Amino acid sequence: MIDLQALTQAVGDLDEKTIITMIEDFVATNPSGEEAQKIVFACQQGMGIVGELFEKNEYYVGDLIFAGELLSKTIDLLKPVLNDVATEKVGSIVIGTVQGDLHDIGKNIFGSMAEAAGFDVYELGVDVSPSAFVEKVKEVKPQIVGMSGVLTLAIDSMKETVKAITEAGLRDSVKIIIGGNPVNEDACKQIGADAFTTNAAEGLKTCQGWVS
Amino acid sequence: MDTKYYTTWEEYLAEHPELEGKPEQAIAPKIVKYEDAMFTFIMDLLL
Amino acid sequence: MTDAIARTNERNQLFKDLFSGNTPKRVPISNPATQDFAIQYAGLDLAECQWDLTKLEPVYDKFCQDFYTDTYPGGSIRIPSHYQILGSTPIVMSSSGFMQHPDVVGMLAEEYDEFIASPYDCIVETILPRLYTEFNGPPGKVAMALAKAMKAQADDLASLGAIRAKMNAKYGFATMVGALTEAPFDFMSDFLRSFKGISGDVRRYPDKVAAACEAVLPLMIKKGTLPNPSMLGYTFVPLHMAPYLREKDFAALYWPTFKKMVETLAGMGQSVQLFVEQDWMRYIDYLYELPENTIMRFEYGDPKLIKEKLGKKHIISGLYPVTLLQTGTKQQCVDKAKELLDILAPGGRYWWQADKSIIHLDINGPVVENLRAVLDYVHENGTY
Ligand code: B12
Repeated sequence: MIDLQALTQAVGDLDEKTIITMIEDFVATNPSGEEAQKIVFACQQGMGIVGELFEKNEYYVGDLIFAGELLSKTIDLLKPVLNDVATEKVGSIVIGTVQGDLHDIGKNIFGSMAEAAGFDVYELGVDVSPSAFVEKVKEVKPQIVGMSGVLTLAIDSMKETVKAITEAGLRDSVKIIIGGNPVNEDACKQIGADAFTTNAAEGLKTCQGWVS
Repeated sequence: MDTKYYTTWEEYLAEHPELEGKPEQAIAPKIVKYEDAMFTFIMDLLL
Repeated sequence: MTDAIARTNERNQLFKDLFSGNTPKRVPISNPATQDFAIQYAGLDLAECQWDLTKLEPVYDKFCQDFYTDTYPGGSIRIPSHYQILGSTPIVMSSSGFMQHPDVVGMLAEEYDEFIASPYDCIVETILPRLYTEFNGPPGKVAMALAKAMKAQADDLASLGAIRAKMNAKYGFATMVGALTEAPFDFMSDFLRSFKGISGDVRRYPDKVAAACEAVLPLMIKKGTLPNPSMLGYTFVPLHMAPYLREKDFAALYWPTFKKMVETLAGMGQSVQLFVEQDWMRYIDYLYELPENTIMRFEYGDPKLIKEKLGKKHIISGLYPVTLLQTGTKQQCVDKAKELLDILAPGGRYWWQADKSIIHLDINGPVVENLRAVLDYVHENGTY
């Protein structure tokens, strides 16, 4: 049987070879969906370690990007044995990089951390127009909308997006969090978001607070 | 630079014996200028 | 001598003093807004003006007239015609007419060895055909596309150069030349491996990353060399990846070839301006190692700490937050300029620039008014 603690640690260490070997060996034993679920949980805890090390300035953005890549690789490996297991979701988030901005690294990091923490993440991609946000919110009724942007013009697009969500009568049904390098308290107020962050781990905590 | 796509004047001259005895001081800067212009153009495509 | 020529001479002297470590008569200023901003400020169409460059002369005239600056404004510009002719994927015009750089991968991880053996061959044979569609196809067509593109770019640069010369003659800006290059590690990241790709490479094959940086170093030095090192001007080096690395990776993979590059350029007698993007504060002691009078335009950091650590050896710039121009009142904006002047100007070695370029204008926002107030304030009060 796979050593879950060792797996968690390997994810925390971003030790790709160990992780992949462990998962491949595990999948080869033809495990049940429930067992596979435990593996996913161990990986999520490993991502938690990554997030902590990031907050402590032992890991940096490059490490987070790599961590995100590793996580999706492991989930891909596990997919065949994860079939049909109903997973419990803690909440749902629609995320996207706002109109005019193509930067998605920060958004993806936050997205994979939120997913690892058990959120249903609806990913809209980059250069997302206010109306595309509105449509998605209508469709999936998330608890949270996360907007990302690193260009200074993203501030204007975020403002437009909140306006569109408000005009569609949806503002009271969602919490809105914004992230990315140029966001700050003043910008957050002007935009009309509920929270802002320049740190994905901190943003995740805010979101967890909202849905708990 | 170890490459097929950039030639120094010395290398160029060695490959072009027909230039022997021609006014090198007028020819060299011109050949080098376009060699460098191409280098800058190419590199700018990746910056 | 006309007024404008006298002003050019005076401003050239400011920068000659600044770049050589002497204290200039006052703090020189560069307007952080770009050509895109100028076009929007003139109320014209972004796409049209970038294709028809004759439209830009009145644009620049108004821009130069209305915003104080000692250097020709406009920022780095990418002109669309040659990118279009070459079928560019890494630089494309957005629907609003903004020339933008989407994330691309020009080189695959499997291609490191080929790159290390000859970076320039790999660029020409493998990377460019992947990124620019017109580098593929029958040799005759490729040759013609390249010829058209080079001619188009040369024509465009000549048009922009003519406008610049007119504005210099009218407004008396400092006349500086420039070259552009990157740190070898950043070059490997930006168009070749991508931000994501390199982040994995650093963990998977650090030796290859290091070897690739060494291999490409001579190209980056050559690219950054000014036509003549004694000319007034600088090599501009935007720095990208360091803040995203662990110090261990930075020290092993980023720093060695970057340092060699700056030292070599400075050793030829020319100025180097680093655009120190993102937060480099944990690397501030490394920055101290760079040659005397290296210009460092910071995006982030504690101005006091920067002044204290680097202010006697290097030339400090940047730090003024352009987001404040978007969100602050005029008074807050001017106060911020004063605060930075008070910290950074004493003792010299300070050049007023903002932390970022202003690449976009929201007509209804306060930026125009705030920016003008700040530029005027620094012009009138920028004593060392
Ligand atoms: C990497 C990068 C690129 C890459 C982007 C690759 C990609 N796929 O995203 C490439 C090379 C493609 C690129 C292109 C451009 N870039 Co760029 N780029 C950067 C750079 C170096 C880093 C940005 C980044 O990814 N940071 C790392 C991430 C992890 O940080 P982050 O986004 O802040 O995210 C963190 C938190 O904020 C949070 N977070 C982020 N989003 C969200 C969302 C939610 C909901 C939550 C909760 C949290 C959260 O989590 C993350 C982890 O903690 C910055 C420099 C800088 N100082 O930011 C310039 C920068 C943003 N770029 C800039 C520019 C100008 C451009 C271009 C316009 C250049 C051009 N002329 O083409 C184009 C953009 C085209 C466009 N329309 O968007 C400027 C912007 C200036 C301005 N005034 O706005 C910057 C600031 C560089 C500079 N100093 O001048 N760029």
